[in-house]
Amino acid sequence: MPPETNPGSNFAEYDYSNFYYGAGDDPMNLLGPFSEWYREALPNGYYLYSEPLQGAPETRVHVRNRKTGRIHDLINLASYNYLGISYRPEVKEAAIKAVEKYGLGASGSPILSGTFDIHEEFNAELARFKGKEAVVVFPTGYSANVGFISGLMRAGDSIILDQYSHASVVDGAILAKSNTVFFRHNNPLDLERKLGKAKGKKLVVVEGVYSMDGDICTLPELLEVAKRHGARILIDEAHSTFLFGQNGRGVAEHFGLDDEVDFHLGTFSKSLGGQGGFVAGSRKLVDYINAFGRSRFFSCNLSPVLVAGLLAGLRIVQKEPELRQKLWSNVAFLRRRFAEEGVDIGKSNSQVMPVMVNNDARVFAVAEKIQDRGLFLQPVTYPAVPKHKSRLRISVSAAHTEADLETAVRVIASVLREEGVCQ
Amino acid sequence: MPVTIYGYRDAMSAFFEFPTENAREILPDHLEPVEVHHGTSIFAMTAFDFNESSVGEYGEVVMAVIVSPLVKPGERLPKSAMYPYLVATTTKAARDHAIERWHLPHFMEDIKLDFDRSTPNVGVARVSDMAGAPIAELKVAAHSFAPVNHLYQSFMADDSGKYLASIVMEGEQSEHEDEKGSIVLHDHAFNKALSIEDVYATPFRELWMRNGRQTFDPLKTL
Repeated sequence: MPPETNPGSNFAEYDYSNFYYGAGDDPMNLLGPFSEWYREALPNGYYLYSEPLQGAPETRVHVRNRKTGRIHDLINLASYNYLGISYRPEVKEAAIKAVEKYGLGASGSPILSGTFDIHEEFNAELARFKGKEAVVVFPTGYSANVGFISGLMRAGDSIILDQYSHASVVDGAILAKSNTVFFRHNNPLDLERKLGKAKGKKLVVVEGVYSMDGDICTLPELLEVAKRHGARILIDEAHSTFLFGQNGRGVAEHFGLDDEVDFHLGTFSKSLGGQGGFVAGSRKLVDYINAFGRSRFFSCNLSPVLVAGLLAGLRIVQKEPELRQKLWSNVAFLRRRFAEEGVDIGKSNSQVMPVMVNNDARVFAVAEKIQDRGLFLQPVTYPAVPKHKSRLRISVSAAHTEADLETAVRVIASVLREEGVCQ
Repeated sequence: MPVTIYGYRDAMSAFFEFPTENAREILPDHLEPVEVHHGTSIFAMTAFDFNESSVGEYGEVVMAVIVSPLVKPGERLPKSAMYPYLVATTTKAARDHAIERWHLPHFMEDIKLDFDRSTPNVGVARVSDMAGAPIAELKVAAHSFAPVNHLYQSFMADDSGKYLASIVMEGEQSEHEDEKGSIVLHDHAFNKALSIEDVYATPFRELWMRNGRQTFDPLKTL
């Protein structure tokens, strides 16, 4: 049944956006309609979200289908594990040794009892890798944006965000209580217009790689506008750190603008296959954010077990630049094959590739068929992306073989043709 | 009181980003704007070409802010809700009818409303005053049309009280976020509630309904 009684309609007429706003006198009012809608949405495609993996996020995974309960052996095109680091033997061995030494968790805030020698060792090595004086580490990428932005900006200041900014960037701006305005995606002219009206301290936030479209930011143009208006610029390199640039520092390095960008943020959950986030910069900056980044010091520090694995992963990234080369070779292969098959991957110029379905009503059926034929990936639909811009999101990994990717192309292209999405 | 039905050839609508600060200036205290982003609310302009009503054929322009719907257990969930802060019609009879029955705030002069359907899959509504001064030009593009039956809520408030109208929109609908449409708002008394330069001229959503009808439940007093 659709929400409450709505004869003749179906679940596809509603989406998450219909259950967010609701006036009335009881905060429970939206629970009933949402639950009713979700019960119908689940078997019609929403079961494809949160399907439990039965092992490591390798290029082949065993996944339990939430609709049938059956375990499927699938090619993994969904995990962020872009360099295949999370299950490398060195990483696992480091984590195992760390659990023997430290036990499970940090058991304290980083400003009290939760900092261990391994945290200091990792932070120093990460700062060296980024070519900065210091880093401040947060428990997640989300908390890094929230803690950094709200730690730096105040009421009366202006934060100017790309319209496709990640939720963590937006939430950081909300928490900062600054005036927040959005500029059109990657559009320096609109940034110029918005900065012209900005008051107080000004911060522009962009992302290295945008996670829904897989396009990289137009950093040189945006940076020029920001500097001309006296604004500072933060680049969130969640999906680009360890991948882009000669040394893998990110998109800022890729453009030769590492020193011009004021604040560099990254995460460990993507290319390092772990968890956590960081900001790299001057010692002064890190001291300040250590003091005022509330999402960091009011959280337990990262587990030393995880940090040991991250440290091993960071060393692999530095020691094996060929991993990045393999990733970009895989990306090039997949781009070429999709082009040959007439599959639209939008504006992607990174390892994140949206396979455009552009049909909100069909995207779940397409995704379901693709999973039935051996691929693990998820549909993305409104409101995460604009209406009728629904897609399947692919994360390419250096660990994929050409055979994996060729199979993926054939399955995707054949399903899209059957469903009338491409010729 | 029975339902009230209006038939239309076209209802061209587009949603535009504008500052929440501006939205709050327009809205009465009991309504909360829906934000498309933090700090960015939604202004909607709709141009109706009515061909069936108790006051004959007429054109109508509705300027509205999108607000939180009123959700009650056991009642149908609305698709969305709006606060029409200014309505203008092409006839006095239509204006008098809407003020008396729906407590809608009106521009108290007739307007001229021309629909241009000469370009395939594009609709343009041009609004001007009776002296010919331009007020607004709304352009929407079509995606694909499919039959729908959607519930909307319309909140009204005046010196006599606060009101809610439940409106079912039936007809063929095209809805998309392709950013193909546009709006031009002219410096005119009609647009005085808006900070025109802060309304983003490209709609993030275009909603075009045609060959349908609009059914109003009896007005509720809140």
